Amino acid sequence: MKRFYAVGFALLLAFDTLNLICFKLAGTEALPVAMDIAWLLRVFSHPWIYGAVVGYIGAFVTWMSLLKHAPIGPAFAASHLEVISVMLLSWWMFSEPVTATQIAGALAIVAGIVCLAFAESREETAADAVPA
Amino acid sequence: MHGLVLILWLANVLLDTSGQLAFKAAAGDDRAGDGLARWRYMFARPWIWAGIGCYVAEFVVWIAFLSLVPLSEGVLLGSINIVAIMIAGRFLFSERLSPLRVTGILLVAAGVAIVGAGA
Repeated sequence: MKRFYAVGFALLLAFDTLNLICFKLAGTEALPVAMDIAWLLRVFSHPWIYGAVVGYIGAFVTWMSLLKHAPIGPAFAASHLEVISVMLLSWWMFSEPVTATQIAGALAIVAGIVCLAFAESREETAADAVPA
Repeated sequence: MHGLVLILWLANVLLDTSGQLAFKAAAGDDRAGDGLARWRYMFARPWIWAGIGCYVAEFVVWIAFLSLVPLSEGVLLGSINIVAIMIAGRFLFSERLSPLRVTGILLVAAGVAIVGAGA
């Protein structure tokens, strides 16, 4: 069962990452941004946007399957830790510079997500302890 | 931050939070029953549609936002949604904010502020 969760969390992270990378690729192809039909048509004419949709659907299905049994804390963390995978991939794929401020900010955000994940786990344990 | 980027960022937080709260209101209705009847009950009421509407609008706003900023920065700035939803849950659904949650919220908010200041 442990392996099922590990695979599930990894899959969730992968789908979220795929979603964001595809969003960026489709958005860049469709530049310049304008709040009009022409821009929307440009966005939806690029195959990348459908990769983003696949990412959304995959993440949704994985999340729903995980939540049925998986502990909420790690699930919460896995659903938000794509900041790390996306940072690494943006640096590698889009040659985005990783600045010191970004690293400092990312560390604080990740620490915050870990705190929130622990808080969720604790709430769940507390809820389980209440007799039905 | 560039003007349009700031507007898109704010719109994203607003739409994401409103969408999640609308879904919570739809799913948390005790009168909805179970199974298929629950879905029928939810789709016959406005909350779930409000949530879907927010998410559709958010899709457009989010792609516009991400095409204007570096992806790594955009994703970090987008983490503010976590904070907004927890605070909204506290006021609208009286969800408890334990000290550990408050610490988490403050850390995420500080991280977003650091990245935002550098952007």
